[in-house]
Amino acid sequence: MNAAIPTTADNRALVEAAHRGLAQTWIEFESALAQVPVVARLLAGKLRLEDYRRLLFNLRQQVVEGSRWISRAASNLGPNHEELRSLFVRHAVAEHRDYRLLEDNYVAAGGTAEDIRAGRMNIGSEALSAFMYHAASRPDPVGLLGAMYVIEGLGERLAGPWSQAIREQLGLGDEAVSFLAYHGANDGDHLDMFDRALALAIADRATADEIVRHARIVARLYRLQLEEIDHV
Amino acid sequence: MQPVYVTATAQCLPGAPIANDRMADYIGRLSPEAERFGRLTLRQNGIRSRHYAIRPDGSSDWTVAKLAGKAVRDLIADAEIDRAAIGFLATATTQNDLMVPGLASGVHAESGLPPIELASLQSVCASSMMALKAAALQVAAGEHRAAIAVGAEFSSRYFRPGQYRGTATVKLDGTLPGDAEFLRWTLSDGAASLLIEDRPAAHGLSLRIDWISLRSFADRFAPCMTGGGAHQPDGSLKPWSLHGSAAEAAAAGAFQLRQDVDALYRMLPVWLGEFMRLVDERKIDPVSVDWFLCHFSAHSLRQEMARLAERAGCMIPDERWFTNIYDKGNVGAAAIFLLLDDLMRSGRLSPGQRILCAVPESGQCIMAYAAMTVVEGDLQ
Repeated sequence: MNAAIPTTADNRALVEAAHRGLAQTWIEFESALAQVPVVARLLAGKLRLEDYRRLLFNLRQQVVEGSRWISRAASNLGPNHEELRSLFVRHAVAEHRDYRLLEDNYVAAGGTAEDIRAGRMNIGSEALSAFMYHAASRPDPVGLLGAMYVIEGLGERLAGPWSQAIREQLGLGDEAVSFLAYHGANDGDHLDMFDRALALAIADRATADEIVRHARIVARLYRLQLEEIDHV
Repeated sequence: MQPVYVTATAQCLPGAPIANDRMADYIGRLSPEAERFGRLTLRQNGIRSRHYAIRPDGSSDWTVAKLAGKAVRDLIADAEIDRAAIGFLATATTQNDLMVPGLASGVHAESGLPPIELASLQSVCASSMMALKAAALQVAAGEHRAAIAVGAEFSSRYFRPGQYRGTATVKLDGTLPGDAEFLRWTLSDGAASLLIEDRPAAHGLSLRIDWISLRSFADRFAPCMTGGGAHQPDGSLKPWSLHGSAAEAAAAGAFQLRQDVDALYRMLPVWLGEFMRLVDERKIDPVSVDWFLCHFSAHSLRQEMARLAERAGCMIPDERWFTNIYDKGNVGAAAIFLLLDDLMRSGRLSPGQRILCAVPESGQCIMAYAAMTVVEGDLQ
């Protein structure tokens, strides 16, 4: 696949500029996230079991949509983005039953499967999910790579430490934190895939800007989802 | 604003260089386990020798004010202007000799300078850049025609066994937790100074200061390198002054320097993010940097930083890095001035070359960058 990556100097400079924009988006996102009440409690060692259950409950309603918007985006990638489309499809396959781990964790943390499956998206999840489908429904939705960067970044950079902190603070076993632990352990590979996708996708400045812009929107809406826990 | 220039530089490293196998003679021996941890730390930080202001018996003729004072006296001796022409002195350090008054007063007393305006900047490594920016702005604003920025550290005195024994920090087997032991094998002593003027020196090379950028990220990081407080079971940090007595605070280990090493790696992306911001704002052009002076506390951190920089097009090739940490150690708030002094004396500078200085501070996360351009002597 590496052979297919365009390696002109122009493309490289644009890819690097996108990496810079994404890295700065991430830094602002992580900073703002630390101020969200549920995350602040987690970071301060003051999380309660109920907090964790509500977090899982709220996340599940959006995670269940994840591979669906990626699939829709894949179907809207035209002939010029075949390689990218196959990456999207593979990504959708890898993720599409993730929410089951989340449901199992919820049960292990003292909830019931019926409850979490009957849940509704909170206000922030609605906004996040609506934006994802909206963006995925447009022709050649390459900007969504920025959305993936934020979501995979959550997995690679935060899910691991969070799962460990939650286990320690709440005295839970592996079976109650496997969703976060799985993403903490695997999303590094996903980000490698992301690097390849970025090199494939960025042919001009407008695309690079769109990717960073999508990342900024998704970062804000993801935070909204965590701010609006249980506000349905 | 008035352009400003570094017209002279100086350094004061006490005593002879001390190699790794003699370190424990100076900072003292806690236990064989502690020394094993020390060797591991040295492999990671790559430091081969350093200087100590303390003698093996724990006595010293130095204070941090005296180290800085010596660096200022040597600076003045090397300057083209008279001491009376210098209007401002800014000092940088991690821990002053005294809690009150500020270090700048102590350095002024040691420096031989006449009455002068002062600023005492206290933080960790980035306090150097705070002092440099204060001095540069004083001159740029026309408040003074010449100013001095000096950074100094005397860390070894905090690392003696007597500072740990009998406190809660020492474990039953005589070892310290990693966050306390790490710094014993990382930090050392010294001072370095810069003279800032509103014109280049008449003879030899000067450095025009193009800009200085410093930003704190304490909005997202808890204190990670600390002294003066003891961690409580709930993770909070209790200042020594809120313990029942100074003796109680000491027993709790409040006066020891600690460094959460894991937090360093969490700060890396933020430090590098600042670099990216400056690239996007067109302040830094990685390709046009001739000398990259990056203060890093460990070789392993440098490698990790390079990995992150590569894919964002922010990598400055290895051959443009100028470093002295392996031979002169990590001298905290003096480090960047020490680098500049060594570079100025290296004989490798030529007019027009661009220098980028980088000073990350782990304390509660600060990142500072400064850009300078080498200029020729101006006989006017």
